[in-house]
Amino acid sequence: MIQIENLHKRFGEVRAVDGVSFTAADGAVTGLLGPNGAGKTTALRMLYTLMRPDEGRILVDGLDAVTDPQGARLRLGVLPDQSGLYPRLTAREHIRYFGELQGITGADLANRTEHLLKMLDMTAIADRRVAGFSHGERTKTALARAIVHNPKNVLLDEPTNGLDVMSTRAVREIIRKLKGDGHTVLFSSHVMQEVSALCDTIVVIARGKIVASGSPDDLRQQTGHQNLEDAFVALSGLEAAS
Amino acid sequence: MRSSSLAQAMVVCRKELTDWSRDRRSIFTVLLSSLFVPVIIGVMFTNLANRQRQLEDVKVPVVGAANAPALIDWLRQQPGIEIVDGPSDPEEAVRTRREDIVVIIPDDFAKKFTASKPAQVRLVSDGSSQNNRAKVQRVRTLFQRYSSEIGSLRLIARGISPVVSVPVQIEDVEVSSAQQRAATILGFIPLLMMIAAFTGAMNIATDSTAGERERGSIEALLVNPAPRGAIAGGKWMAGTATAMLSVVVTGALLFALFQYIPLQDLGIRFALGPTQLLGTLATLLPLCPLIVAIQMYVATFAKSFKEAQSYLSFLMIAQMIPGMMATMNVLPSKVWMYYVPWIGQQTLLTDVLGNKPIHPMVFVVVAAANVALAVVVIRATAGLLLREKIIFGR
Repeated sequence: MIQIENLHKRFGEVRAVDGVSFTAADGAVTGLLGPNGAGKTTALRMLYTLMRPDEGRILVDGLDAVTDPQGARLRLGVLPDQSGLYPRLTAREHIRYFGELQGITGADLANRTEHLLKMLDMTAIADRRVAGFSHGERTKTALARAIVHNPKNVLLDEPTNGLDVMSTRAVREIIRKLKGDGHTVLFSSHVMQEVSALCDTIVVIARGKIVASGSPDDLRQQTGHQNLEDAFVALSGLEAAS
Repeated sequence: MRSSSLAQAMVVCRKELTDWSRDRRSIFTVLLSSLFVPVIIGVMFTNLANRQRQLEDVKVPVVGAANAPALIDWLRQQPGIEIVDGPSDPEEAVRTRREDIVVIIPDDFAKKFTASKPAQVRLVSDGSSQNNRAKVQRVRTLFQRYSSEIGSLRLIARGISPVVSVPVQIEDVEVSSAQQRAATILGFIPLLMMIAAFTGAMNIATDSTAGERERGSIEALLVNPAPRGAIAGGKWMAGTATAMLSVVVTGALLFALFQYIPLQDLGIRFALGPTQLLGTLATLLPLCPLIVAIQMYVATFAKSFKEAQSYLSFLMIAQMIPGMMATMNVLPSKVWMYYVPWIGQQTLLTDVLGNKPIHPMVFVVVAAANVALAVVVIRATAGLLLREKIIFGR
């Protein structure tokens, strides 16, 4: 479970995240929805401990991520905004490397790696260097190394960005699987359909603030729009801006 | 470092070395930097030895040797001089560099000589060619000596002391003797070996810091619970390994090379035997951790591989300054110098190669000082990995 309370982050004059609070529950998928530049990535970066909030609290399974980032990292699996790979290593080596950094070794690591490769349908490309991988194959590799330690909480920053239809489907499948296994999944997206298809809870963020949150049905009711995309546009104030 | 941190550092180190070993460019760099020193030294010495030999055994082609049998006999008696028949077209032979010098003795030599008139000897050479200058000079000096010897004899025959015809006596003091030039070349060895250590580590140092930023893999790496110290430490260990590899290969090649260079031909008593090799390695290997630590610290500020490499080239020039100053004898040898990185290695290596006895504790203390300093720098690098500007600033 992830709880965020009154999170703030400023870059100079810009309030990138301005008082954000929400909770991502266990066994549920929470979507952080917002247009580009809304503060999604900044919020997630604070959540996955690489950025220090100016103000506010972050609890990962009840553990304060600001004061104990190391402890929080053990409970997090993260697909960051920038998920670069090492071109000269194979997919399997990527998974192994991150597994070992998490402290997993021996047969345990081998089993986890094998399991992930099968789950992500990567067995055929497991021992190829990632230099020649397609965008989808790269995302799968990055995802596999992010969850090699079977973390309770999974954070994905725009996991389907730039993927083709088949790869997007595969990622969705994984998110559903993780949810079914009782994980907390929090992912960000600017694509309405994606969020509505997957999420139990949607948190709409615009200009660093949360403008609405709730189940897809809640949002429809709040805005009076039957179409979620209209609801999103209304909530994020995009029409007023343009 | 706690044992789990050490284990994680080892994981990082192994990954970096695997990654490095698959990069043809990095392997090429290490090989090239290792070969660089021995090849340069080898070429310089062979060149020097050749020139020396050229002076020792000079073949002088003479056209018209029959015109001056006494002169030719005298020349033949000079050590290292061999008289051979000259080519039919001397000027063409010199112009096309088939010969360095050709001596022409004209037909009227004997007639003028017996009449005590200046008898001409023509030396054909190419003044624009650097390589044969010494040889031409040597031949010219021979003729001048013969000329003054005969002149003295003529004066004595006329009852005049030959000394009166020598109002000024010139004594040449040649400072750039072959020995001295060889010593200068040997003085460059410490400097060149430090460059080998530097270039050997450069690839991992940049790839594992600026490279992580350029590829966008740094976020994912730092989300791991492994402590920053373990991550920076592992990369440092990998870089140190490659720097040391570069030094060892260079040392071994130099060692092999010096078994073949004809140093005794140059009259130099210099040996690079097992003792000197060990001393060189004992001096330079402990510098590697510090070199890599500094490279990594600097490269972490760079957003890309290219940017990092341009920073490091400046660093390379900076590290060469103490060595240059020592080679040019600007720095007098003082005790404190042993304990300053780079200057210390330079001084120690000069001692090692000059066969000065060194107390083993000096090696230990110098090594300990370097490694301790390296740890401080690596901690600072680990600290950089906490900065948001470094992690996200692209």
